[in-house]
Parts: sequence; C-alpha cells; structure tokens
Amino acid sequence: MLFIVPFAIAALIFMVYPVAEAVRLAFYDHNPLRPDASEFIGLENFRTIFADPLFWQSFRQAAIWTFASIVLQTVIGVALALLLHLPLRGISIFRGLLLFPYIVPTVVIALILQWMLNAEIGVVNWSLRGAGVIDDNVYWLATPSMAMLSTILLNVWKYTPFVTICVLARLQTIPLELYDAAKVDGAGALRRFVDITLPQLAEVLVVVVIFRTIWTFNKFEEIYLLTKGGPGTSTFNLAIYSFEQSVANLKMGVGAATGVVMMMLLFAGSLLYMRVFRFAEDDSA
Amino acid sequence: MKVFDLIRSALAWLTLLLVTFLMCFPLIWAMSTSVKPPKDVMATPPRVIPQEFTIENYRNLITGKQQYFRADQAYVPTTSAPQHFTSWFANSVIVSVGSTAISIVISTLAAYSVTRFRYRGRRIIPYFSLLGYMIPSIILVFPMFMVMSELRLTNTLWSLTFGYVSITLPFSMWLLWAFFRGIPVELEEAAMIDGASRLRVFIDIVLPSALPGIIAAAIFSLIVSWNDFLFARVFINSIENLPLTVGVMHFFEGVHVDWGLMMASAVLMTVPMAVLFMLMQRHLVAGFGAGAVKG
Repeated sequence: MLFIVPFAIAALIFMVYPVAEAVRLAFYDHNPLRPDASEFIGLENFRTIFADPLFWQSFRQAAIWTFASIVLQTVIGVALALLLHLPLRGISIFRGLLLFPYIVPTVVIALILQWMLNAEIGVVNWSLRGAGVIDDNVYWLATPSMAMLSTILLNVWKYTPFVTICVLARLQTIPLELYDAAKVDGAGALRRFVDITLPQLAEVLVVVVIFRTIWTFNKFEEIYLLTKGGPGTSTFNLAIYSFEQSVANLKMGVGAATGVVMMMLLFAGSLLYMRVFRFAEDDSA
Repeated sequence: MKVFDLIRSALAWLTLLLVTFLMCFPLIWAMSTSVKPPKDVMATPPRVIPQEFTIENYRNLITGKQQYFRADQAYVPTTSAPQHFTSWFANSVIVSVGSTAISIVISTLAAYSVTRFRYRGRRIIPYFSLLGYMIPSIILVFPMFMVMSELRLTNTLWSLTFGYVSITLPFSMWLLWAFFRGIPVELEEAAMIDGASRLRVFIDIVLPSALPGIIAAAIFSLIVSWNDFLFARVFINSIENLPLTVGVMHFFEGVHVDWGLMMASAVLMTVPMAVLFMLMQRHLVAGFGAGAVKG
C-alpha cells in the first residue's frame, strides 16, 4: 500500500497539477514576461480563439492532416501486415525492421527530409526529374499543398509500422481452421479476406484508428520541425496554433484555451473508445 | 499451382524489399551525405555510395572544431559551430536515463501495489494513467514550465528530467500494471507462508518475473525522452544546457546550412536508439503488445 505513495506524489505534481493549471490558465490573461499582471477574464480567451480565423484554419488543416495520415497509415499498414503474415522464408527480418522508424527521433527524420526535399539540391527532386515524373523542381516545403503533403509523408513514414504491428499481432491469432473450412467451401482468396480476415480485424482496427486519430490530431513536432507550420500558416494545426499563441504572441491564456479545446476533443475520442469496448468492465479479471 | 505460388512469393518479396528500401532510405541517405567531402555533398548526380570518403564531419562534431564549408568548397570557421555537440549529447543521456530511472522505480512500486493490495481507488489508478498519457505534451509543457519556475529549476537538466517524467510515468504505469496483473500471485503467497518478508518477496520473486515488462517500459521511456523536442525548446535557454534535439537546430543558424555536418549529427543522434533497438527488439515488441506506445 505504501508503494503507491511515490506514484501518488509524482502524479499530483507532474500530471494532475499541470493539467489543472492548464485549465486555470485558459481563463486568465497571462503574459509570461509579466506573471504578476495575470488576471481572471472568464471566457474571454475562448471568445478570442473562436473568433480567430487562424484557429479555424488550424482546425481544418489539422483535420485534413489527420484524416489523410490515418487513411494512408491504415491502408498501407494493413496491406503490409497481410504481406508479413505470408509464410515466406526470411520474413522475420522484415518484421524485425518494422519498428525502426518508430525509434528514429522526429528531429532526425525532419532534418533528413528537409535535406532530401530541398528544392534545388535535394535527392527527391533529382530522382523525380531523372525519372521524368516532373520537369521543374517541386518546392516541397515552400508551397502550401506540397508542405502539407510532406508533413503527411513524414507522419505516415513514422507511424505506419504501429498499425502493421498491431494488425499483424491480431492476424496471428485468427484460427487457421476458418480458412480451411472456407477453402473447402470453395471461397476464393478475396472472398476469404472479406468474409474472414476483415471481420476478425475489425476490433483491432477500430482501436488503432481511434488511438492514432487522437494522437495525430494533437501532434506538434512532426509538423513544427519540418515546416514550422508554414509556409505562412498553411500547415498550422491546433498544437502549433497553441504554441505560437503562447510563445510568439505571449498569450499563454489563449494558448491554454486552445489546449482545453484539444483536451475536450481528446476526451470525446476516449469516451468513444470506452463506449465501443466497455473497457472498464473486463477489469473484474 | 507451384508456379503460381512461386510468382506470388517473388511478388511479396519484391514489395517488401521496396517498402524496406523506403523505410531505410532516409537514414541511408543521411549516412551517405555525412561521409562525403563538402564538394560532393551537393554534387549532381547525387550518389548513394560516396566517391570519396571522409570522417571530417564526425571529427568536427566530436572535437568541436569550428569548421564549416563555404560555397567555394573551402572549410572556414563560422559563427554557429559544433563545439557544444558533445555536451548536448551528454545532456540527452543524463535526462533520458534520469527520467527513465525515476519513472520506472515509481511505476514498478505502484504497479505492484495496485495489483497486490486491496484498497479503495486502486482500480481507477491504471485508467487514470492511461488518460494521463493520452494528454499531448503541448498542453503540459507551459504549466510544467511554470512549475519549474516556481521550483527555480528552469534552464537546468533537472527541469527536463522531471518534465519527461510527466510523459513517461503514465505509460510506464499503464504497461507495468498490465504486466504485473499477468504474474500469478501463488508463488509470492507460498514464499510468504514460508516466512519471507514482503520486501524479500518483492526483490527475489516479483522483480525477476516482472523484468521483461520493466525492460520494455524502460526502453519506451528512453525513446520518448531522447526524442523529445518540445520540453527542451521551452525549458532551456542557454545553449550548453540543451539536449541534442534542440541543440542541432542551431546548425541552421549559419549563412550556409552545412548538410554534411547536419546529417552527421542526425546519424549520431540515432545511433544510441538504434543500438538499444537491436539489443532489445524482443522486449519492444512485447511492449507494443501491452499497448505502451505513445506516438
């Protein structure tokens, strides 16, 4: 019982207090350079963000970014898991490599992508030109739509393996008898995939998609390190909006209010998750 | 049918090779750039296998020699120099290991407590942790900064160590709880009937059987703290106290970006994680299974 005490103390200082403080700040006008002039202003910060076109732009861009990333991650991730599930020789080498992108620091992949996607001297433009795909250099990080695409690519590169590993683990538990029975009944490969594999995967896919959506929506470093939210504000999401309000505009209250909105969305997502799985119930074991 | 199987295997293999290539190419390209002499870094056509090989970039990072290269391909000293690289590296090691040690000790004790003792509220703690680890860093970072200012710890490595605990503690707790729950208590009970003390049982029986879970939690903690950018960006303002992730951003400040040097630091930043990864691969997958992944 005493063993819980350090956790309780640490949780209070490092988890509960910061979150409570973040919520409190959202109702204050707080300038980090003049902390004594902090003042309670009620819902004013929320009014500010909801009236700010940039907030809604960031929201929209975050939604696009998240949606595109999740769709690509899920489709590629499942396809890869199905491939890795095939009984091929030497396939365990690939399975081992899968986790690699996850351990590469976001800073590192962002630096490398800035170098590879460099418009003038980057290897990507050079290869695409050589292959005849493009005639002129693509300004990957300097045009809004391409910058968005680049951040999506970074995200997909780094987190698709997560989907693959979760799906692969589930695939390995599908009883083979199901497939044998279907084969006897004359079901083709596609039929077996649609009727057996997909329903079996449905549950893990829902979990993975909800979790990845929540996390992707709130990502900061994956975008900030590659484009700083730019060019202009074309790759801002809510996390970057909140950061810029707090750091560049010195409006910690506005930044915190954005954080509160993000938290509400997150809790809505988590509730959805718990609703789907009635998660607390299986705790009786 | 045989032929069909063969073609199918070949296709699968080809696809997997392509995927592996896409997955590994950024790192391969970084390594290749990092060992090229300046005149070859921007040469066309770009070559994956360098024509000439040099370790100059690595040497500059490690010795802190102020050499950068200019468009006329000569090495010249510039204002933003790699002389802090080794301290950044050391800082990264200290804060990652420190925060990992703290959160592992605390969460091991806590996980043992909630799975072995009965008291009010013990059920809620793991779920509370799960919720805690879903909260994005961007929400925690500014309040944590204010906590650190109160404690007069800003701009110290302590602030980062504690800051990372706020991320690593909740998911270590969640993972270890799932792990401890799976360890049968019968052995412990038998030992206690034989007269062993609670502490003895904890050290001799519980810890060894929980080791794989503890290792997995530790690896994930190390990865998360090693890779963090945001906390360090907000907490630390003197250049020599930075960890690697924020430190290397200073290499962008020169007039010319020295991509060779940049890629060398990217490679060095990945090496410790890659080594850890190779040594501990098995445990990492176990951690994924238990849902310990923050990402």
